[in-house]
Amino acid sequence: MATRAEFLGRIRAEVRRAPGLFPATPAPRPERPAEAAQAVRRQMTDRWPGALERFQEEFALVSGVFHRVGTMEDVPSVIRDIARQKDARGVTSWDPGQLGIDLRPSLEAEGLSLVAAPVHGDNDARARYREAAAAAQIGVTGADFALAETGTLILMSGPGRPRTTSLLPETHVAIFGKSRLLETLEQVGVILEALHAEPESARRGAVVNFITGPSRTADIELTLTRGVHGPKEVHAIFVDSL
Amino acid sequence: MTGPIRASLMVTCLGDLFFPEVGVAIVRLLRRLGVTVNFPPNQTCCGLPLFNSGYHREAARVARRTIPLFGASEHVVVPSGSCAWMVKKEYPGLFRDDPELAREAEALARRTYELSQFLVKVLGASRVGTSFKGKVTYHDSCHLLRGLGESQSPRTLLGNLEGVQLVELPGADECCGFGGSFSVRLPDVSTSILAKKIANVEKSGAECVVACDAGCLLQMAGGLSRKGSRVRALHLAQVLAGPDEP
Amino acid sequence: MSDQALRTPFSERAGAALRDTSLQQALTLATTKFIGLRKEAFATYPQGERARDQARAIKEATLQRLDHYLNMLADNVERLGGHVHWATTGEEACETILRICRECRVKTVVKSKSMATEEIELNEALEHAGVTPIETDLGEYIIQLAREKPSHIIAPAIHKTRGQVADLFSRVLKGQFPADPEVLTAVARKELRQKFLQADMGITGANFAVADTGTIVLVTNEGNGRMVTSLPRIHVAVMGIDKVIPSMTDLMFFLGILARSATGQKISVYTTLVRGPRQPGELEGPDEFHLILMDNGRARQIASELREALYCLRCGACLNVCPVYRQIGGHAYGYTYPGPIGILLTAMLKGDRAVKDLAHASSLCGACQEVCPVRIDIPRMLIELRQRLDRERIAPLAERVLFKTFAQVLTTPALFRLAATLGRLAQRPFVRGGRLQNLPLVFARWTKGRDLPPVAARTFSERWRELR
Repeated sequence: MATRAEFLGRIRAEVRRAPGLFPATPAPRPERPAEAAQAVRRQMTDRWPGALERFQEEFALVSGVFHRVGTMEDVPSVIRDIARQKDARGVTSWDPGQLGIDLRPSLEAEGLSLVAAPVHGDNDARARYREAAAAAQIGVTGADFALAETGTLILMSGPGRPRTTSLLPETHVAIFGKSRLLETLEQVGVILEALHAEPESARRGAVVNFITGPSRTADIELTLTRGVHGPKEVHAIFVDSL
Repeated sequence: MTGPIRASLMVTCLGDLFFPEVGVAIVRLLRRLGVTVNFPPNQTCCGLPLFNSGYHREAARVARRTIPLFGASEHVVVPSGSCAWMVKKEYPGLFRDDPELAREAEALARRTYELSQFLVKVLGASRVGTSFKGKVTYHDSCHLLRGLGESQSPRTLLGNLEGVQLVELPGADECCGFGGSFSVRLPDVSTSILAKKIANVEKSGAECVVACDAGCLLQMAGGLSRKGSRVRALHLAQVLAGPDEP
Repeated sequence: MSDQALRTPFSERAGAALRDTSLQQALTLATTKFIGLRKEAFATYPQGERARDQARAIKEATLQRLDHYLNMLADNVERLGGHVHWATTGEEACETILRICRECRVKTVVKSKSMATEEIELNEALEHAGVTPIETDLGEYIIQLAREKPSHIIAPAIHKTRGQVADLFSRVLKGQFPADPEVLTAVARKELRQKFLQADMGITGANFAVADTGTIVLVTNEGNGRMVTSLPRIHVAVMGIDKVIPSMTDLMFFLGILARSATGQKISVYTTLVRGPRQPGELEGPDEFHLILMDNGRARQIASELREALYCLRCGACLNVCPVYRQIGGHAYGYTYPGPIGILLTAMLKGDRAVKDLAHASSLCGACQEVCPVRIDIPRMLIELRQRLDRERIAPLAERVLFKTFAQVLTTPALFRLAATLGRLAQRPFVRGGRLQNLPLVFARWTKGRDLPPVAARTFSERWRELR
């Protein structure tokens, strides 16, 4: 095995030997990412209704199911309806602090069981949560961003925000409000640049997931089939008051 | 500047040996449009078959001979998209180490036109004033379409021709499977690509498939004839030239 | 493909594919569908052409400072607690993974689709060492059960019909499954779900790696990429050094064009950005993250004629439009990467000798370049490659002599005229009804499937005198 220095030295030699094919630079990045991200957010304070409309269209095109409610208090009944439709009993969710609502009282009142993710945990807690997430039929999360041009939900992992909540259950439900709406991938780029320009903090997990509809495959005769490994259904609940 | 437009015909090797009637049709057509046509002697081939097989030094030798043949030509008209592409796009690059020849090659490249482009873009003759009877479809030659970016001129010329019903060929922009030496290096693959093309030609309902490249014509005519099809493969010039005596 | 199979000449492998009627049906169906989906996707994406230009520029710019970006990527991965390994060859990459397996007592590995691991035949190496690799992409799973190789970069089991998959599942998984993609997919889901939950290690490739942030980017539709990076206690990502890009801003251009080129989707279902192992405070994610940066023949192409092939995103668009691929499918090529780009990648990874015949498996129609999201000039590089074969004397002597003689004829008009005269004499016994249908020798290669017009009684040059 080569060391890093040897490996890179060889590449450097090749790069020096090679005339570039044409003058080229990477895409221009925001000079002050935090300010650029602020500018994007400001833009969206006016433009979110258009973005929401586009999100709905695109989300429907990828077989997402869209709901709109007035306040967080209305969310449990949407989840209850989905559960009835699916004949589901077990629900798992992000930590209530991360989700912005404690679903337990209302869901338990409907006869549903809820396992909320712990904020922190050791190996045992991980194993326990995995078992719960694998057993649950519905996983409820927030969404850090909702990207209109593709109907994409963007979720960041972190304390109280496990990766598997949106992955193992057959139905994924994501809750978000207007401040989460973005129009373009380009804006997502700005936001991610800003995020990475911040100092590392304990709140940041290792994973950002872009989720665009339910899991799908076309590997057998190009026949579209849903729910290969991930969820078979994805619901988005837009909350006006958020 | 006044006086008639002058053009030199670069007939190409396939045109010279297998399709002399295409050259004859071009001469008739251009003269009908008032062009003074000449034919520089001692032409052979543009060198494309050598170039595409990777024999670039040899292709350069051929180009070095071809360039001065057309040194005095005002315009050079080529009946094949691929040969026109070779002269226009590849000749200059063959002489990277010889600036003077490179300049000459570039000058020739600028003066060289594939036939349909010459008619429409130089002569402004999108109507040639002849007629042709029948249902016709057009096959895009790869080098003319993707190499020279031309898909409209031949269609315009055909569409404007009296008596012609132009129908679109399904998969018109797909290769016919010729590919020069490819056609004999992998003959089975080449003919199986051809079979698809022929099926599409027949599906179009046309009596005649038109192309602007001798290579595609050799391939498609060969396939149609082997199949005993009644559809004919013709060069654009043969359709546009009109009857023998104006 | 096994060495045994590779001993069959390419033309015979291609011939066998042409005679395989179910393969022919599958290929036509799939490639036609992909072509249509891609076309539609770009038709409704006005900024697509600009994004393609930008993506191409990013790839070129990255190559111009490749050592710098790889170094930055490695620094960031290590800062996040990941381990970086530098593998000059495919064998070194395999050995590294086996070493990690031994040290961490790994028994089973779940894999998401990765051409890089196909390229180094990692599964064979793992099996040999007593580790069980399980492919989890449905297409890859199918071909793993069938003990075959992928035949398309993004649709590995494109050559299999639903009936064949049903038979395969019924036999290997011991059941009676109908030829219904929905049912078969559900069977695979159930089977593989258990494997995900039990596996010790997850192995992925990387569609991209962002140097600035140390992020590995995985693009999947099924969600297996997420499973593999979330559930096992170790995550190993194997990536070719050509996959690094500078920044998140750059990444967005690629996300806009990758899925559109591959499947016609605006974006794939899952784009997963992974930075290192589980981060502090996180409940889930692997304890360990290893990034294997693999050269395996790539670096020496930076300064070669094949440089542009290092831009490749592995979207498979060039396969779908290639008239040759559409006739013969992926297996006939004989190596990991099929299609027009595959010829270049094979030359890159296996050396020019491996593509002696493959270099000519293209009519140079240019359809590949037209659809390539980063506009790789594949036809030009195939021509360059052919030039190398002559220069390196890999092309057969007879061919080289033939072409050099041909050049002599073309530069000597008298010889050219003589050839026409000889042709006319020689063809005489064979002309039937104004055409040639059954020529001997090398000419049979033409007339076996097509007619040939005879050399004209009078060439155009000879007729010009009376036209003057």
